[in-house]
Amino acid sequence: MMKELVIPALLETIYMVSVSTVFSILLGFPLGVLLVITEKGGILEKPMFNRILGGIINVLRSIPFIILMIIVFPISKLLVGKTIGTTATIVPLSIAAAPFVARVMEGSLKETSKGVIESSLSMGATVPQIVFKVLLPESLPSIVSGITLTIINLIGYSAMAGAIGGGGLGNLAIRFGLYSRKTDLMIVSILLIILLVEGIQFLGNKISKSINKK
Amino acid sequence: MKKTLSIVLILVLVLLVSGCTSKEGDLEKIKIGVSPEPHAKLVELVADDLKKEGIEVETVIFTDYMTPNRALDSGEIDANFFQHEPYLNNQIKEEGLNLVSIGKVHIEPMALYSNKYKSIDELPNGATIGIPNDTVNGGRALLLLEANGLIKLKDGVGVNATELDVVENPKNLKFKALEAAILPITLDDVDGAIINGNYALESGLNPVKDGLIIESGESPYANIVVVRKGEENQEKFQKLLNVLQSEKVKKYIEETYDGAVIPAF
Repeated sequence: MMKELVIPALLETIYMVSVSTVFSILLGFPLGVLLVITEKGGILEKPMFNRILGGIINVLRSIPFIILMIIVFPISKLLVGKTIGTTATIVPLSIAAAPFVARVMEGSLKETSKGVIESSLSMGATVPQIVFKVLLPESLPSIVSGITLTIINLIGYSAMAGAIGGGGLGNLAIRFGLYSRKTDLMIVSILLIILLVEGIQFLGNKISKSINKK
Repeated sequence: MKKTLSIVLILVLVLLVSGCTSKEGDLEKIKIGVSPEPHAKLVELVADDLKKEGIEVETVIFTDYMTPNRALDSGEIDANFFQHEPYLNNQIKEEGLNLVSIGKVHIEPMALYSNKYKSIDELPNGATIGIPNDTVNGGRALLLLEANGLIKLKDGVGVNATELDVVENPKNLKFKALEAAILPITLDDVDGAIINGNYALESGLNPVKDGLIIESGESPYANIVVVRKGEENQEKFQKLLNVLQSEKVKKYIEETYDGAVIPAF
């Protein structure tokens, strides 16, 4: 009975978190880049745009996840044809994590020294060239750490996926473990979540370190 | 601290109320703790009828669910009317209270709604049914399905049932446990959903008119009048229950609440 519940829940968590990690990076990375290049003193200075974008990101990050899940129902319907279930949960997860990714990326990209950027500019590099050939490679180790952080954050968010039928380990721990007082189920689910988090942190650190050495 | 404060407030309220009432010494008194809606309204409706029977009823309104049982157990009120049986049983177990139900009055019914089907016979094999994902309402939803012969639950699980306790499921219904409040807006994505009365009404669904199946007064979730154990046979309480279960109350409920509340007697 335990296995029948835990294994599907583990797979649901892995599915939700991995797909929404990809989408949140696809959405959040460009936003992070825009934040960096349009800020005051950036290579494509646009302070007004920068302030508006920053504002939108802050608003999205402020909405409690359980409410965000419901607000994005029309988008879920449009994209996956459903508003409930594991696949539908990927939509709010990605949208919730994207602004987080944007801020993390912003932090990482800013670590590139001004001198490197200026010398590239003086050599006539275009904005895309600076982003992809200078900023990105320079800050890659830090970006990897940021992605690690995002994945772990998403595991946390995914615990609330139960509200819209997303399932997963967090839901199992809350609904059957906590509410229905099946302590063994709760402990097993939480242990698995810990293992996931530990594993991802370990891998993230390894990758980040190996890039740094180059 | 909070508990002491609420008890003090209740005492002040009780003193104020009893200070104000006229001294009709020959009337028996019942101080009853109630929730504002519909419980207080129902008790006020029958106050005059009780007076004719020689009983003066005083309502003490509570807006929380913890104090009415404690106040009753400690003797500050004589009866209360705000809860259903599973809640009472849970409180008795957790707080060690010495209380007992004397009878049911009304129910705020849960019902099965569908945007696709008009009756449960139309539900196809393998239909997906949304149910609330919290233990209390989830169990309640499954009991409604069982009462209508759609599933059978494991013996003895009762109100604590989850979808894991379904032992017979001839239609192979699939259960989707969701946050109770969002069930109405997910109706297009399921074949049917079992929704609490308040959430259904807020979404323009009427349990009586729109429900494919609806909880009856037989349901354990009907609201009950509760007194201290040992006092349940006192005549004044029997009289109180009699007037609360009268035709007048039934008519009032049906006319006022339009299906959101139905009589359970």
